[in-house]
Amino acid sequence: MEIFKKIGFVILAGSAILAALIFYSLNIPHKRSANIVERGVQMVFAPVMKPAARVSGFFEDAWDNYLDLVGVRQENLRLRDEIKGLNARIVSAGEAVIANQRLEKLLGMRGSVREPTLTVSVVGEDLSSWFRTVVIDQGSSSGIAEGMPVIAADGVVGQIVKVAPTTSRVLLLTDHTSGIAATIQRSRARGVVKGKGQGLCSLEFTTRDEDVKVGDLVITSGIGGVFLKGIPIGEVTMVKRGEYGIFQTVTIRPFANIAHLEEALVVLRMPHD
Amino acid sequence: MIRNAAALFALILAVVLQTSVLPLHVAGPFKPDLLLVAMVYLALRGPVAQGAFLAWTLGLIKDVFSGLYLGLNAFSFLIIFLVITSISDLLYAESGELFVVTVSAATLACVTANLVLLLMLTYTPGITYSMAAGLLPHLLANAFAASLVTLLPVFTSPQEVI
Repeated sequence: MEIFKKIGFVILAGSAILAALIFYSLNIPHKRSANIVERGVQMVFAPVMKPAARVSGFFEDAWDNYLDLVGVRQENLRLRDEIKGLNARIVSAGEAVIANQRLEKLLGMRGSVREPTLTVSVVGEDLSSWFRTVVIDQGSSSGIAEGMPVIAADGVVGQIVKVAPTTSRVLLLTDHTSGIAATIQRSRARGVVKGKGQGLCSLEFTTRDEDVKVGDLVITSGIGGVFLKGIPIGEVTMVKRGEYGIFQTVTIRPFANIAHLEEALVVLRMPHD
Repeated sequence: MIRNAAALFALILAVVLQTSVLPLHVAGPFKPDLLLVAMVYLALRGPVAQGAFLAWTLGLIKDVFSGLYLGLNAFSFLIIFLVITSISDLLYAESGELFVVTVSAATLACVTANLVLLLMLTYTPGITYSMAAGLLPHLLANAFAASLVTLLPVFTSPQEVI
Protein backbone atom coordinates (compact mmCIF):
# COMPACT_ATOMS: atom_id res chain seq x y z
CA MET A 1 0.00 0.00 0.00
CA GLU A 2 2.80 2.26 0.97
CA ILE A 3 4.61 1.59 -2.24
CA PHE A 4 1.55 2.61 -4.29
CA LYS A 5 1.34 5.85 -2.39
CA LYS A 6 4.99 6.63 -3.18
CA ILE A 7 4.62 5.68 -6.87
CA GLY A 8 1.41 7.70 -7.07
CA PHE A 9 3.14 10.77 -5.67
CA VAL A 10 6.01 10.42 -8.14
CA ILE A 11 3.58 10.06 -11.04
CA LEU A 12 1.57 13.06 -9.84
CA ALA A 13 4.63 15.23 -9.44
CA GLY A 14 6.00 14.11 -12.78
CA SER A 15 2.67 14.83 -14.43
CA ALA A 16 2.54 18.27 -12.85
CA ILE A 17 6.05 19.06 -13.99
CA LEU A 18 5.25 17.75 -17.45
CA ALA A 19 2.07 19.79 -17.58
CA ALA A 20 3.90 22.89 -16.49
CA LEU A 21 6.51 22.22 -19.10
CA ILE A 22 3.89 21.70 -21.77
CA PHE A 23 2.10 24.87 -20.60
CA TYR A 24 5.34 26.75 -20.79
CA SER A 25 6.23 25.32 -24.17
CA LEU A 26 2.81 26.18 -25.48
CA ASN A 27 3.20 29.75 -24.32
CA ILE A 28 6.58 30.39 -25.80
CA PRO A 29 5.47 33.43 -27.73
CA HIS A 30 5.35 33.18 -31.42
CA LYS A 31 3.76 36.55 -31.30
CA ARG A 32 4.16 38.92 -28.34
CA SER A 33 0.48 39.52 -27.62
CA ALA A 34 -0.95 38.55 -24.21
CA ASN A 35 -3.06 35.44 -24.09
CA ILE A 36 -6.32 35.08 -22.28
CA VAL A 37 -4.75 34.03 -19.00
CA GLU A 38 -2.39 36.97 -18.92
CA ARG A 39 -5.14 39.38 -19.81
CA GLY A 40 -7.46 37.93 -17.20
CA VAL A 41 -4.92 38.10 -14.40
CA GLN A 42 -3.89 41.58 -15.38
CA MET A 43 -7.51 42.71 -15.40
CA VAL A 44 -7.99 41.31 -11.92
CA PHE A 45 -4.88 42.98 -10.50
CA ALA A 46 -4.97 46.26 -12.39
CA PRO A 47 -7.35 48.15 -10.04
CA VAL A 48 -5.18 47.20 -7.07
CA MET A 49 -1.82 47.73 -8.68
CA LYS A 50 -2.36 51.34 -9.67
CA PRO A 51 -3.15 52.69 -6.17
CA ALA A 52 -0.50 50.42 -4.73
CA ALA A 53 2.02 51.93 -7.10
CA ARG A 54 0.89 55.41 -6.15
CA VAL A 55 1.11 54.68 -2.42
CA SER A 56 4.44 53.05 -2.92
CA GLY A 57 5.63 56.08 -4.90
CA PHE A 58 4.38 58.38 -2.15
CA PHE A 59 6.28 56.49 0.49
CA GLU A 60 9.35 56.35 -1.69
CA ASP A 61 9.22 60.12 -2.20
CA ALA A 62 8.59 60.69 1.50
CA TRP A 63 11.54 58.54 2.38
CA ASP A 64 13.78 60.26 -0.15
CA ASN A 65 12.64 63.68 1.06
CA TYR A 66 13.19 62.65 4.64
CA LEU A 67 16.70 61.53 3.76
CA ASP A 68 17.24 64.85 2.01
CA LEU A 69 15.90 66.77 5.01
CA VAL A 70 18.31 65.12 7.40
CA GLY A 71 21.00 67.76 7.97
CA VAL A 72 19.18 70.48 6.01
CA ARG A 73 18.82 72.67 9.09
CA GLN A 74 22.52 72.40 9.81
CA GLU A 75 23.29 73.04 6.16
CA ASN A 76 20.94 76.00 6.15
CA LEU A 77 22.65 77.50 9.18
CA ARG A 78 26.05 76.88 7.64
CA LEU A 79 24.97 78.51 4.37
CA ARG A 80 23.53 81.49 6.24
CA ASP A 81 26.84 81.90 8.04
CA GLU A 82 28.62 81.63 4.73
CA ILE A 83 26.33 84.31 3.23
CA LYS A 84 26.98 86.56 6.20
CA GLY A 85 30.70 86.01 5.85
CA LEU A 86 30.59 86.67 2.12
CA ASN A 87 28.50 89.80 2.60
CA ALA A 88 30.97 91.04 5.20
CA ARG A 89 33.80 90.33 2.78
CA ILE A 90 32.01 92.21 0.00
CA VAL A 91 31.45 95.21 2.30
CA SER A 92 35.03 95.14 3.55
CA ALA A 93 36.32 94.75 -0.01
CA GLY A 94 34.24 97.77 -1.07
CA GLU A 95 35.53 99.68 1.94
CA ALA A 96 39.09 98.69 1.08
CA VAL A 97 38.63 99.92 -2.49
CA ILE A 98 37.30 103.26 -1.26
CA ALA A 99 40.06 103.55 1.34
CA ASN A 100 42.58 102.67 -1.35
CA GLN A 101 41.30 105.46 -3.57
CA ARG A 102 41.42 107.92 -0.69
CA LEU A 103 44.92 106.89 0.32
CA GLU A 104 46.08 106.99 -3.29
CA LYS A 105 44.93 110.60 -3.51
CA LEU A 106 46.59 111.32 -0.18
CA LEU A 107 49.79 109.76 -1.46
CA GLY A 108 49.60 111.99 -4.50
CA MET A 109 49.36 115.02 -2.22
CA ARG A 110 52.22 113.66 -0.11
CA GLY A 111 54.39 113.50 -3.18
CA SER A 112 53.71 117.14 -3.97
CA VAL A 113 54.73 118.35 -0.50
CA ARG A 114 58.42 118.97 -0.18
CA GLU A 115 58.49 118.40 3.58
CA PRO A 116 58.29 115.20 5.64
CA THR A 117 54.74 114.22 6.40
CA LEU A 118 52.92 111.82 8.70
CA THR A 119 49.70 110.08 7.74
CA VAL A 120 47.09 110.24 10.49
CA SER A 121 43.55 109.02 10.98
CA VAL A 122 40.70 110.98 12.48
CA VAL A 123 39.45 109.23 15.62
CA GLY A 124 37.11 111.79 17.12
CA GLU A 125 35.28 115.06 16.71
CA ASP A 126 34.71 118.09 18.86
CA LEU A 127 32.34 117.54 21.78
CA SER A 128 30.43 120.72 21.08
CA SER A 129 28.59 121.71 17.94
CA TRP A 130 30.07 125.17 17.45
CA PHE A 131 33.78 124.53 17.62
CA ARG A 132 35.40 122.76 14.69
CA THR A 133 38.20 120.48 15.85
CA VAL A 134 38.99 116.82 15.30
CA VAL A 135 41.12 114.34 17.21
CA ILE A 136 43.80 112.42 15.30
CA ASP A 137 45.51 109.20 16.27
CA GLN A 138 49.10 110.48 16.48
CA GLY A 139 50.75 112.74 19.01
CA SER A 140 54.04 114.06 20.26
CA SER A 141 55.53 110.55 20.33
CA SER A 142 55.26 110.58 16.53
CA GLY A 143 56.90 113.97 16.24
CA ILE A 144 53.78 116.11 16.06
CA ALA A 145 53.91 119.54 17.65
CA GLU A 146 51.54 122.48 18.08
CA GLY A 147 51.25 124.68 15.04
CA MET A 148 52.02 122.05 12.42
CA PRO A 149 49.84 122.25 9.32
CA VAL A 150 47.44 119.45 8.43
CA ILE A 151 46.40 118.77 4.86
CA ALA A 152 44.21 116.22 3.10
CA ALA A 153 44.22 114.90 -0.44
CA ASP A 154 42.07 117.80 -1.63
CA GLY A 155 43.65 120.63 0.28
CA VAL A 156 44.21 122.31 3.62
CA VAL A 157 42.48 120.83 6.68
CA GLY A 158 43.79 122.97 9.52
CA GLN A 159 46.46 123.21 12.12
CA ILE A 160 47.55 121.21 15.16
CA VAL A 161 46.49 123.02 18.33
CA LYS A 162 46.77 120.54 21.22
CA VAL A 163 49.19 117.66 21.40
CA ALA A 164 49.18 114.67 23.75
CA PRO A 165 51.66 111.77 23.54
CA THR A 166 49.39 109.58 21.42
CA THR A 167 46.68 111.90 20.10
CA SER A 168 46.40 115.47 18.90
CA ARG A 169 43.68 117.94 18.15
CA VAL A 170 43.42 119.73 14.85
CA LEU A 171 41.76 123.13 14.55
CA LEU A 172 39.87 122.90 11.27
CA LEU A 173 40.01 125.77 8.84
CA THR A 174 36.23 126.17 9.20
CA ASP A 175 36.49 127.02 12.92
CA HIS A 176 35.80 130.64 13.86
CA THR A 177 39.25 131.04 15.41
CA SER A 178 41.15 129.66 12.43
CA GLY A 179 43.07 131.99 10.14
CA ILE A 180 45.24 131.03 7.16
CA ALA A 181 47.14 133.43 4.95
CA ALA A 182 45.89 132.91 1.41
CA THR A 183 46.13 134.10 -2.17
CA ILE A 184 43.74 134.02 -5.09
CA GLN A 185 45.69 131.95 -7.61
CA ARG A 186 44.52 133.82 -10.70
CA SER A 187 44.86 137.44 -9.58
CA ARG A 188 47.32 136.96 -6.68
CA ALA A 189 44.96 138.95 -4.43
CA ARG A 190 45.80 138.32 -0.80
CA GLY A 191 43.74 137.83 2.31
CA VAL A 192 43.20 135.67 5.34
CA VAL A 193 40.91 132.63 5.17
CA LYS A 194 38.81 132.60 8.33
CA GLY A 195 36.37 129.91 9.37
CA LYS A 196 32.67 130.69 9.37
CA GLY A 197 31.45 127.46 10.96
CA GLN A 198 28.85 125.48 9.00
CA GLY A 199 31.56 124.10 6.69
CA LEU A 200 32.39 127.41 5.00
CA CYS A 201 35.16 130.00 5.18
CA SER A 202 35.57 133.62 4.21
CA LEU A 203 38.48 135.49 2.70
CA GLU A 204 39.00 138.54 4.84
CA PHE A 205 41.08 141.67 4.53
CA THR A 206 40.86 141.60 0.74
CA THR A 207 40.39 145.15 -0.38
CA ARG A 208 37.49 146.18 -2.63
CA ASP A 209 39.70 146.88 -5.62
CA GLU A 210 41.30 143.41 -5.61
CA ASP A 211 40.21 141.15 -8.47
CA VAL A 212 38.22 138.24 -6.99
CA LYS A 213 35.62 136.28 -8.94
CA VAL A 214 33.33 133.36 -8.21
CA GLY A 215 35.13 130.11 -9.09
CA ASP A 216 38.62 131.45 -8.30
CA LEU A 217 40.99 129.00 -6.68
CA VAL A 218 42.25 130.01 -3.25
CA ILE A 219 45.68 128.72 -2.23
CA THR A 220 47.97 129.22 0.74
CA SER A 221 50.27 132.18 0.36
CA GLY A 222 53.00 130.85 2.62
CA ILE A 223 52.99 134.12 4.57
CA GLY A 224 53.24 133.50 8.28
CA GLY A 225 55.36 130.43 7.87
CA VAL A 226 52.73 127.90 8.92
CA PHE A 227 51.58 126.51 5.59
CA LEU A 228 53.74 125.93 2.57
CA LYS A 229 52.96 128.13 -0.39
CA GLY A 230 50.53 126.91 -3.03
CA ILE A 231 48.44 124.31 -1.18
CA PRO A 232 44.82 124.48 -2.36
CA ILE A 233 42.34 125.75 0.22
CA GLY A 234 39.06 126.11 -1.62
CA GLU A 235 36.99 127.81 -4.24
CA VAL A 236 35.34 131.21 -4.17
CA THR A 237 31.57 130.74 -4.11
CA MET A 238 30.36 134.29 -3.45
CA VAL A 239 31.79 137.79 -3.77
CA LYS A 240 30.01 140.86 -2.36
CA ARG A 241 31.21 144.41 -2.65
CA GLY A 242 29.13 146.90 -0.73
CA GLU A 243 28.94 150.60 -1.53
CA TYR A 244 30.95 151.44 1.52
CA GLY A 245 33.82 149.82 3.37
CA ILE A 246 37.38 148.99 2.54
CA PHE A 247 37.06 145.23 2.15
CA GLN A 248 34.91 142.93 0.08
CA THR A 249 33.07 139.89 1.41
CA VAL A 250 34.32 136.66 -0.12
CA THR A 251 32.89 133.26 0.78
CA ILE A 252 34.96 130.13 0.18
CA ARG A 253 33.99 126.48 0.05
CA PRO A 254 36.95 124.39 1.27
CA PHE A 255 38.16 121.61 -1.03
CA ALA A 256 38.88 119.21 1.82
CA ASN A 257 35.86 117.15 2.81
CA ILE A 258 35.90 118.37 6.39
CA ALA A 259 32.60 116.76 7.41
CA HIS A 260 33.75 113.28 6.42
CA LEU A 261 37.47 113.52 6.98
CA GLU A 262 39.07 110.17 7.71
CA GLU A 263 42.75 110.49 6.87
CA ALA A 264 45.07 113.46 6.66
CA LEU A 265 48.73 114.37 6.45
CA VAL A 266 50.52 116.28 9.16
CA VAL A 267 53.39 118.24 7.67
CA LEU A 268 56.23 117.72 10.14
CA ARG A 269 57.47 121.23 9.89
CA MET A 270 57.50 123.69 12.71
CA PRO A 271 55.96 127.05 11.86
CA HIS A 272 58.56 129.70 10.99
CA ASP A 273 61.11 127.00 10.10
CA MET B 1 33.99 101.52 45.23
CA ILE B 2 31.84 99.75 42.66
CA ARG B 3 29.66 102.85 42.30
CA ASN B 4 32.72 105.01 41.68
CA ALA B 5 34.05 102.55 39.11
CA ALA B 6 30.64 102.49 37.42
CA ALA B 7 30.54 106.30 37.41
CA LEU B 8 34.04 106.45 35.88
CA PHE B 9 33.04 103.89 33.26
CA ALA B 10 29.89 105.90 32.45
CA LEU B 11 32.00 109.04 32.09
CA ILE B 12 34.47 107.38 29.71
CA LEU B 13 31.57 105.89 27.76
CA ALA B 14 29.91 109.30 27.48
CA VAL B 15 33.11 110.93 26.15
CA VAL B 16 33.76 108.13 23.66
CA LEU B 17 30.14 108.16 22.51
CA GLN B 18 30.18 111.90 22.07
CA THR B 19 33.52 112.18 20.28
CA SER B 20 33.83 109.03 18.21
CA VAL B 21 30.49 107.25 17.89
CA LEU B 22 27.67 109.78 17.70
CA PRO B 23 29.33 112.06 15.10
CA LEU B 24 29.24 109.15 12.65
CA HIS B 25 25.51 108.65 13.05
CA VAL B 26 24.11 112.01 14.14
CA ALA B 27 24.17 115.30 12.25
CA GLY B 28 26.49 117.85 13.89
CA PRO B 29 24.04 120.13 15.74
CA PHE B 30 22.07 117.16 17.06
CA LYS B 31 24.98 115.86 19.13
CA PRO B 32 23.79 115.64 22.74
CA ASP B 33 25.98 117.00 25.52
CA LEU B 34 26.11 113.92 27.71
CA LEU B 35 28.53 115.53 30.16
CA LEU B 36 26.06 118.35 30.77
CA VAL B 37 23.31 115.80 31.38
CA ALA B 38 25.59 114.04 33.87
CA MET B 39 26.34 117.33 35.58
CA VAL B 40 22.63 118.14 35.99
CA TYR B 41 22.01 114.67 37.38
CA LEU B 42 24.82 115.27 39.84
CA ALA B 43 23.41 118.64 40.82
CA LEU B 44 19.96 117.21 41.52
CA ARG B 45 21.07 114.06 43.29
CA GLY B 46 24.63 114.54 44.59
CA PRO B 47 26.21 116.26 47.58
CA VAL B 48 27.23 119.86 47.01
CA ALA B 49 30.89 119.83 48.06
CA GLN B 50 32.11 116.84 46.02
CA GLY B 51 29.55 117.53 43.33
CA ALA B 52 30.87 121.03 42.68
CA PHE B 53 34.36 119.68 42.10
CA LEU B 54 33.00 116.91 39.91
CA ALA B 55 30.90 119.35 37.90
CA TRP B 56 33.97 121.50 37.32
CA THR B 57 35.92 118.36 36.31
CA LEU B 58 33.21 117.32 33.88
CA GLY B 59 33.40 120.75 32.27
CA LEU B 60 37.16 120.49 32.15
CA ILE B 61 36.94 117.11 30.41
CA LYS B 62 34.58 118.66 27.89
CA ASP B 63 37.08 121.45 27.31
CA VAL B 64 39.83 118.94 26.66
CA PHE B 65 37.83 117.57 23.74
CA SER B 66 36.20 120.78 22.58
CA GLY B 67 37.37 124.12 21.25
CA LEU B 68 40.53 125.89 22.24
CA TYR B 69 39.74 127.32 25.62
CA LEU B 70 40.48 125.09 28.58
CA GLY B 71 38.27 126.12 31.49
CA LEU B 72 35.42 127.61 29.48
CA ASN B 73 32.95 124.80 30.05
CA ALA B 74 34.45 124.01 33.44
CA PHE B 75 33.47 127.49 34.60
CA SER B 76 30.01 127.30 33.02
CA PHE B 77 29.33 123.87 34.47
CA LEU B 78 30.35 124.99 37.95
CA ILE B 79 28.09 128.05 37.84
CA ILE B 80 25.14 126.01 36.57
CA PHE B 81 25.79 123.29 39.16
CA LEU B 82 25.77 125.80 42.00
CA VAL B 83 22.57 127.41 40.74
CA ILE B 84 20.80 124.07 40.43
CA THR B 85 21.96 122.80 43.82
CA SER B 86 20.85 126.06 45.44
CA ILE B 87 17.29 125.44 44.29
CA SER B 88 17.31 121.63 44.22
CA ASP B 89 15.86 121.45 47.76
CA LEU B 90 12.77 123.18 46.43
CA LEU B 91 12.42 120.74 43.56
CA TYR B 92 11.11 117.22 43.34
CA ALA B 93 14.40 115.80 42.10
CA GLU B 94 13.05 112.31 41.41
CA SER B 95 10.71 113.58 38.73
CA GLY B 96 11.73 112.59 35.21
CA GLU B 97 9.92 115.52 33.62
CA LEU B 98 11.65 117.96 35.93
CA PHE B 99 14.99 116.42 35.04
CA VAL B 100 14.34 116.97 31.32
CA VAL B 101 13.25 120.55 31.97
CA THR B 102 16.32 121.18 34.13
CA VAL B 103 18.64 119.77 31.47
CA SER B 104 17.00 122.02 28.87
CA ALA B 105 17.39 125.05 31.11
CA ALA B 106 20.99 124.08 31.86
CA THR B 107 21.70 123.77 28.13
CA LEU B 108 20.42 127.29 27.54
CA ALA B 109 22.41 128.55 30.50
CA CYS B 110 25.57 126.78 29.36
CA VAL B 111 25.36 128.15 25.83
CA THR B 112 24.69 131.64 27.17
CA ALA B 113 27.55 131.46 29.66
CA ASN B 114 29.92 130.14 27.00
CA LEU B 115 28.89 132.85 24.58
CA VAL B 116 29.33 135.62 27.12
CA LEU B 117 32.75 134.30 28.13
CA LEU B 118 33.84 133.92 24.51
CA LEU B 119 32.69 137.39 23.53
CA MET B 120 34.24 138.96 26.61
CA LEU B 121 37.58 137.24 26.63
CA THR B 122 38.35 135.98 23.12
CA TYR B 123 38.23 137.04 19.52
CA THR B 124 35.83 134.63 17.85
CA PRO B 125 33.86 136.51 15.21
CA GLY B 126 30.74 134.73 14.01
CA ILE B 127 30.47 132.42 17.03
CA THR B 128 27.17 134.06 18.03
CA TYR B 129 25.59 133.05 14.75
CA SER B 130 26.92 129.48 14.98
CA MET B 131 25.70 129.09 18.54
CA ALA B 132 22.31 130.58 17.77
CA ALA B 133 21.90 128.38 14.69
CA GLY B 134 22.82 125.23 16.60
CA LEU B 135 20.95 126.03 19.80
CA LEU B 136 17.55 124.51 19.04
CA PRO B 137 18.86 121.17 17.73
CA HIS B 138 21.30 121.05 20.66
CA LEU B 139 18.47 121.74 23.09
CA LEU B 140 16.30 119.02 21.55
CA ALA B 141 19.16 116.49 21.54
CA ASN B 142 19.96 117.20 25.20
CA ALA B 143 16.30 116.94 26.21
CA PHE B 144 16.07 113.63 24.38
CA ALA B 145 19.25 112.34 26.05
CA ALA B 146 17.86 113.46 29.43
CA SER B 147 14.59 111.65 28.79
CA LEU B 148 16.57 108.49 28.06
CA VAL B 149 18.48 108.90 31.32
CA THR B 150 15.19 108.94 33.24
CA LEU B 151 14.56 105.43 31.94
CA LEU B 152 17.76 104.08 33.48
CA PRO B 153 17.40 102.11 36.71
CA VAL B 154 19.96 104.39 38.38
CA PHE B 155 17.58 107.32 37.98
CA THR B 156 14.73 105.64 39.77
CA SER B 157 16.94 104.48 42.64
CA PRO B 158 16.36 106.69 45.71
CA GLN B 159 20.05 106.59 46.73
CA GLU B 160 22.24 109.62 46.50
CA VAL B 161 25.08 109.45 43.97
CA ILE B 162 28.75 109.30 45.08
